[in-house]
Amino acid sequence: MIPKGFSLEGKVAVVAGAGRSWLKALASFLAEAGADVALADQDRKQMEEAAQEVKNWGRQAIVIPTDVTSYQQIEEMAVAVTSQWEKIDILVNSMDLQFAQPLLEVTEEEWHRVITTNLTAVFLCTKAVGKHMMERKEGKVITITSVLAERGLPNSTAYCASKGGVGQFTKALALEWARQNIRVNAIGVGWISGEAEGEEGELRDPLVRYIPLRRLYRPDDLGALLVYLASDASSYVTGQTYFVSGGVMAHG
Amino acid sequence: MLEKLTLDGKVAVVTGGGGGLGTAISLALAEAGADIIVTDFRPKDGESAAAEVVGLGRRAVFIATDVTKSEEVNGMMARAISQWGKVDILVNCAGIVREETGDRAGKPFWEITDQEWHLGIDTNLTGAFFCSRAVAKHMVERRGGRIINIASGFGLRGLRGGFMYCTAKAGVILLTMSLALSLGREGIRINAIAPGLFRTWQSKEMYDTRDPFIPVGRVGYPREIGALAVYLASDASDYVTGEVFAIDGGTLAGGSAPTGYAPVIPI
Repeated sequence: MIPKGFSLEGKVAVVAGAGRSWLKALASFLAEAGADVALADQDRKQMEEAAQEVKNWGRQAIVIPTDVTSYQQIEEMAVAVTSQWEKIDILVNSMDLQFAQPLLEVTEEEWHRVITTNLTAVFLCTKAVGKHMMERKEGKVITITSVLAERGLPNSTAYCASKGGVGQFTKALALEWARQNIRVNAIGVGWISGEAEGEEGELRDPLVRYIPLRRLYRPDDLGALLVYLASDASSYVTGQTYFVSGGVMAHG
Repeated sequence: MLEKLTLDGKVAVVTGGGGGLGTAISLALAEAGADIIVTDFRPKDGESAAAEVVGLGRRAVFIATDVTKSEEVNGMMARAISQWGKVDILVNCAGIVREETGDRAGKPFWEITDQEWHLGIDTNLTGAFFCSRAVAKHMVERRGGRIINIASGFGLRGLRGGFMYCTAKAGVILLTMSLALSLGREGIRINAIAPGLFRTWQSKEMYDTRDPFIPVGRVGYPREIGALAVYLASDASDYVTGEVFAIDGGTLAGGSAPTGYAPVIPI
């Protein structure tokens, strides 16, 4: 049973980007809470799996192949969603390109690729979908980001800069759209499963010891918070990045 | 996954439970399934909050407590634990902002008395320490428990004339972080909620004058804080500890310029 206020019954959500293979999990949380979900990315397989998951919850799903770094394609996607369901209530930006190199070895091309995927795509999707929210003066924008939005890490200048940019984008837009009843927030996730990232066991153990709750992040961990920020329950929350990090943000 | 948001069978202690936010949090936790022990130093307000919880079909008792007195707090917590055999959730919501603490009292900083300072710090910061200390051993023995500290946006930013309040609430936030790091391995999670301005004990007219200064255009309603407390009290936030969740209508997102101020810079 879903507590009163958390329900997304009758809501339309767009999940843009399939960073870190989380599309299926994100779509599933939204559908469980009652939303119909449009999936916008280029990864066909992930989108089909996510759509099936949405249907398993008895909700509708549409798959719209989209390059989330192309404004034209995103606009077309948003029009397709609104012509199907007449509105978009929720946008989840979940693009994520992981990249680690010492600064002196980062090429211009690599830098641009990280910033384009992690930051510019958030701008493009939020602008194209936000236009439709603005017409109805109602909406929720939620961007999935990382503890590296606030904390530094060696060999991660491009990634940290892109995620820090998302945090400031979130604050500034939250103020800009506050009176239009559009809430803009982010969820910063912690260190994720080493296996999924292909990390060696050697790196993994000290990492787990470093995390106060003594385990790595799992995609399920952000589910309820995503639904909270997508629902009317968070009517007074905007401009925030809430972290789900197992406690690492409390560390010295 | 969302069934984890339920608090069925849980017992929560809410300090300051008779106040605006404390009552709203008590009711939200009760709606999610918890039984509530309401504590407050104001019997009338505390009794009435407990009665509202009972009206929702949950169990509730009121225990009069002054959180600045450790013996009273220890006695309250012992009674709370024995009431239904356990305490799963502690919400430290007791606080004070009134002028008798010397804050914004219209007098110079150097005229704040020891007594005023202690009243503020003892209620807002030491009270959260006393209550957490009183329940922590019980939670560690049961290898489970959640503490939610009600901090404030003013624990992260300064306030003209707000010496005690800002200092105490910043202390609550660092107590939250350090306690989270200390008790994480024992299965205890400690988080803070940092509210902005909510319509609680002051007059409607006063809050009406504040509406335009909040980015979303209005002061918050106490019921709007409930769902966040339910989330942090439930298993749905299992991977969240040592965090500060601000809920403030956008206030902390800005603050460097007046709300609504749009600099016109040609680019």
